[in-house]
Amino acid sequence: MMRRRSIISDTGSSARVNVTPMIDVVMVLIVFYLLVGQLAMDRRASIVIPRTLTGVEETDEVDPIVIGITRDGMRSLNGIETELVRIEAQVSGMLARSPQTPVRVRADQDAPYRFVRPVLDALRDMGVGKVELVTEQQI
Amino acid sequence: MGSSGRFGPNMTPMVDVVLVILIFFMAATTIAGQEWFLRTDLPESGDDQDASLRLDLPTPMLDVSLFVESGSPGGRIMVQGLGNEARTLDSLLRQIESMDDADAQGLILRVGADDRVPYGSIVALHDAGTRKNMRVAIR
Repeated sequence: MMRRRSIISDTGSSARVNVTPMIDVVMVLIVFYLLVGQLAMDRRASIVIPRTLTGVEETDEVDPIVIGITRDGMRSLNGIETELVRIEAQVSGMLARSPQTPVRVRADQDAPYRFVRPVLDALRDMGVGKVELVTEQQI
Repeated sequence: MGSSGRFGPNMTPMVDVVLVILIFFMAATTIAGQEWFLRTDLPESGDDQDASLRLDLPTPMLDVSLFVESGSPGGRIMVQGLGNEARTLDSLLRQIESMDDADAQGLILRVGADDRVPYGSIVALHDAGTRKNMRVAIR
């Protein structure tokens, strides 16, 4: 479409289309998508979550507690890498303040269960009866 | 640039490239699957006995343990707990899929796993159970 317009402008200079505002807008959009992609990459980089055909969608009511587990056994709490002992302390503190906070486990699909079990056991010991396993929607 | 038709840089190739980049980022953002969650029970050991006592009924339960077959080169995921023989996870997944919805409804699927089992296999079993409206718990 743009090519055709520039041909017109070469033949008749009065019909030239001013593309500057469009380029401005498009550049802003590109920067936006680059940033969003980068942010999403930071969050997802080291964890490949499993894909499932079933699941419950985000409700956005309360900020959840998200425990991440990489395939190498590195654990994180709400995106910050920490040890299991600290996760236990912090999560029990958060749950004491608001017991209804959903707890989510975001583990890598290739992580051996020995890295996941201690987290689930710790949650069980805290009296957490339900967890949400984060997965990706399989289309 | 706008006042003169002949002079100034030719913006057309740049606009073409920029639009292609924009479309790429928009498509990439859409293709990346959305996250959702599988709800899992974390029963205390002995919970089910209490439940059956309270209800005065046997709890309909599939209690299975996953393990990695040591002899096989790829490390096949096997399931124990249904019959005397261990069977492959794939065959269990197929069986659950072919189950009658009415039979599966309300069934409790309790999953345990040994250290080497990848988390993705547990989630795959969970997904199959959830599709049949089973209640899934991780031991």
